[in-house]
Amino acid sequence: MKIIQTAIAAGLVASMLAGTALAQDKTLNMIVIEGGDTTAMQAVADAYKAAHPGVTINLQPYPFAQFFQVAELRLRSKDAGIDLVYVDAPLVASYASRGFLSPFDASVDTSTLVTSALDAGKYEGNQFALPINNSAQVLFFNKTLFANAGITPPDGLTAGETASQAQVDELAATKRWTWEQVADAAQKLTVKDGGRTTTYGFTVEQFGELYQLQPFGESLGTDVIGPDGYTAKGYLDSEAWTKAATYWANLYNEWGVSPKSLGYGEAAQLFGNGQLAMMAGGTWNLPGLEASGVDFGVAPYPYFEGGKVVTPTGSWYVGVNAASGNQAEAVDFAKYLTTSAEGTKTWFDSLQQLPTYKPLLDEISTAAAFDSFPQDVFRLGVYDSLNTAKARPVTAAYGQLQDAFRTAFVDIANGVAVKDALASAVQKFEAAAARVAP
Amino acid sequence: MTRSRSPVLLIAALLTPALIGLVVFRLYPIALAANDSFFNVLRGQPVFVGLDNYVALLTDSVFWNSLKVTFWFNLLINPIQIALALGLALLYVQNFKGVTLYRVLFLIPIGVSLPTAVLIWRIMLSQDGLVNGVIGIAGVPAQPWLTSEALALYSIIAIATWKGISYWMIFIIGGLQNISPEIYDAARIDGIKPWQRLVYITIPLLRPTLLFVLVADVSINFLLFAPIFMLTQGGPADSTNVLMYEAYKSGFIFGDMGRAMAVIVVVVAILLVIVGLQFKLLSGRREAKR
Amino acid sequence: MTARSLQIRRGAGLGARHLVYALIAFIFVLPLWWAIVSSLRPNAEVFADIFPVTPKALIPSPLTFEAYAGVFERGFGMIIANTMFVALVTMVAGLIVNGAAGFAFAMFDFKGKKLILSLIIISFMLPFEAIALPLYTVTQQLGWLDNVLALIVPSVANGLAVFLFYQFFSQVPKDYMEAARLDGVSWIDILLRIYVPLSMPTCISAALLLFIFQWEAFLWPLLAMPSQQFKVIQVGMAAFQQQYQTIWNQLFAVSVITALIPIALLLPLQRYYVQGLAGAGIKG
Repeated sequence: MKIIQTAIAAGLVASMLAGTALAQDKTLNMIVIEGGDTTAMQAVADAYKAAHPGVTINLQPYPFAQFFQVAELRLRSKDAGIDLVYVDAPLVASYASRGFLSPFDASVDTSTLVTSALDAGKYEGNQFALPINNSAQVLFFNKTLFANAGITPPDGLTAGETASQAQVDELAATKRWTWEQVADAAQKLTVKDGGRTTTYGFTVEQFGELYQLQPFGESLGTDVIGPDGYTAKGYLDSEAWTKAATYWANLYNEWGVSPKSLGYGEAAQLFGNGQLAMMAGGTWNLPGLEASGVDFGVAPYPYFEGGKVVTPTGSWYVGVNAASGNQAEAVDFAKYLTTSAEGTKTWFDSLQQLPTYKPLLDEISTAAAFDSFPQDVFRLGVYDSLNTAKARPVTAAYGQLQDAFRTAFVDIANGVAVKDALASAVQKFEAAAARVAP
Repeated sequence: MTRSRSPVLLIAALLTPALIGLVVFRLYPIALAANDSFFNVLRGQPVFVGLDNYVALLTDSVFWNSLKVTFWFNLLINPIQIALALGLALLYVQNFKGVTLYRVLFLIPIGVSLPTAVLIWRIMLSQDGLVNGVIGIAGVPAQPWLTSEALALYSIIAIATWKGISYWMIFIIGGLQNISPEIYDAARIDGIKPWQRLVYITIPLLRPTLLFVLVADVSINFLLFAPIFMLTQGGPADSTNVLMYEAYKSGFIFGDMGRAMAVIVVVVAILLVIVGLQFKLLSGRREAKR
Repeated sequence: MTARSLQIRRGAGLGARHLVYALIAFIFVLPLWWAIVSSLRPNAEVFADIFPVTPKALIPSPLTFEAYAGVFERGFGMIIANTMFVALVTMVAGLIVNGAAGFAFAMFDFKGKKLILSLIIISFMLPFEAIALPLYTVTQQLGWLDNVLALIVPSVANGLAVFLFYQFFSQVPKDYMEAARLDGVSWIDILLRIYVPLSMPTCISAALLLFIFQWEAFLWPLLAMPSQQFKVIQVGMAAFQQQYQTIWNQLFAVSVITALIPIALLLPLQRYYVQGLAGAGIKG
């Protein structure tokens, strides 16, 4: 009996000690995308912990392909095991409308953040998510392959040269290639050997994704969906989009310059292996491509001849899960990540995404550290974010739009008739959107 | 044959775990599915909508397309699989020198799981894959087996058949083993030709086995999911968008559980009707012949 | 008809027969063979001998194990271990639960026996896919989402396994049981000391059934473990092929591993497997 009594007493003491210890230490859970994003977030989490001992940010990374689904499921079931959420820009409306996120109040000083990025994190007037960074899309090109084929590459930034913000502005405003020029060069650069393509002329980084391809139709003058957020008829199936989709179809079928169905990250891999002459992709690729040893240059994102210059923009935000039991602590980390000098710098150094923190943007434009390649590429990002960037459509049915769009463009790349694919996408989106429309 | 008086407690103890499994993980989910189909989630809250989800399906062209694809898929795959499984079983039971090796090889697809088979076949059917290489010898141009609207569904039928017939073959072998050899001897003496033997003796005697295989195969094929999920995601152009995948997309990609459950209820209802019909038509005929 | 021409005819018939069998066996074996061969090549060489096709396509040359090394580096070993764990636990638990139920049905008569037996068998003929979505909700209610329990518990009770045990136990001559009862042996002892040892072949059949069911499980583990921190092999393989669409040799390595383990179990025990399933199909 005595043994049991001692054991119980010991157990109680132990649990009390553990209880007090727990009261000091906090662990916040955050879901993020696997890969570079996790590495960068870990760096920020470590820096935060150094400044706030006792608070640990525990990251739960998921592969890109699974992320949205998992986030959806866990947020929907009001999972208290998540405190912070990595939110893709266009999903803020969807999450906010269903009560997944807690709004940030006036205690967060957002004056240092780019206004357009802040606005994209608002829903019905409240700030539901804070922008972590912006994105900048450029045209990477392999100088060696161009030289070997005897073709003049686009004007751009390369190693060994410097460029001031003013020079970059001029490059972006006057020397931008058109998609037609890209197609032309790509056909000359594609090499087939024994029935198989060994060098591809061009590819976009994200196969069939709305983020990547939105500018195609918009460059020709028509938005993806109407301003109400639920109409696609007259937009996605318009003449402009049909022309854009036909260009897309040709890339894969008639001209055969692009590889079909690339997985996440594989376009960059192809480019790094020297098997791809041009890639339309994000600046986050810079560190990896530098390391690959390929002699490459960076040109501004192309546009359609006679059309507007439009570039993809917007990136990831951080939100606080409404079901979290650690609201104050979560908000504090979110503030650190997005509005503190240290947090934003750590993030930028690791992930190399265009910042939304104005002091950092100023630094990029003026500091000497950004005069030379590849850092001057960010000045291109600055120009585009101020002059040509167009955010993704705001709609509570963004998930459905993204899916319908991707299906259409993947099908088109695989040979389905453009008209049919676009009509089907319009119909599917409108049917799905009607179910979530207020 | 006497059975003991029932020791009730013992029986309960022996049966309870299995019964809990039955109720909690089979019957309750079905009831739950029916229940969820009467609700919609708006702005994060479940709202009772009665039969709205079902009515919405009636005017949903994507749903009707899924129905069409599912029916067409099953109309083709089930007879093909059973006929081939029967043929395979007949080959398996032959006795001659060296047949043991062939028998072992016939069983290989059973060990290969469906997702594995799907992955391997996906690469084999890719633009630069082995299949295109082989037909290239005959001068046939490379085909976009899985990315073409016209071919994708048939490619999936082929893959599922490759994987499935060895499994069904085993059940038919069991049925074949039950047919006493004397019947065949008598038939041979009567001078009946082999194919007549097959049609007039073997198949009728196999009826219970074939019925079992048919019902089980139809059930599995009607709800087939893995190949579509892994290969085509319902495409290209919805040509492989079977009902099961449509339900999955609704529920797990778009979070529209109400619609997803409605589709599931419809699928299960149709399946029950089909199975019921199969039983009625195929066991009924035997009575009539007498 | 001369003896010689009869011999030729027979020879040709034999040859034709072997051709047919060989062709079918070839179609069954080819995909797995090509997968093995390709998994032993460097990635750049996977499609090397296809246009035009040469017999070299079916030989692993040049030979390298880099695909397998790469796959394990990406954490596939953990995935295999996870699946093994789930499969083995289900197998052991399943043998107990289903064996007990089968024994009860075979030995005793009780009210509602026919109904319950049919209910168990029919409800388990309903494939998992039909209830996967609603089962997700049940699992959520139990708080088992992302928990290994969600993968194991719903799969333990299996109608086919119950049926196999029921069939077998019914066919054991009643004399053993009656003699033991006369001697005052308890039912549990009868089960454990007489019936279980006799039922080894059925146990093997049922064990294989449960193991392979878990090994091949795809849709359910995909749904029940949404965070995918705990991956089982089929889901891991699917995720792998989604993420690394062009690392062909590793994709093949992954599928070879996934396929070979059940085949390794199945081939030596195929007699039991075939017998067990074949016996189940008769009554239907």
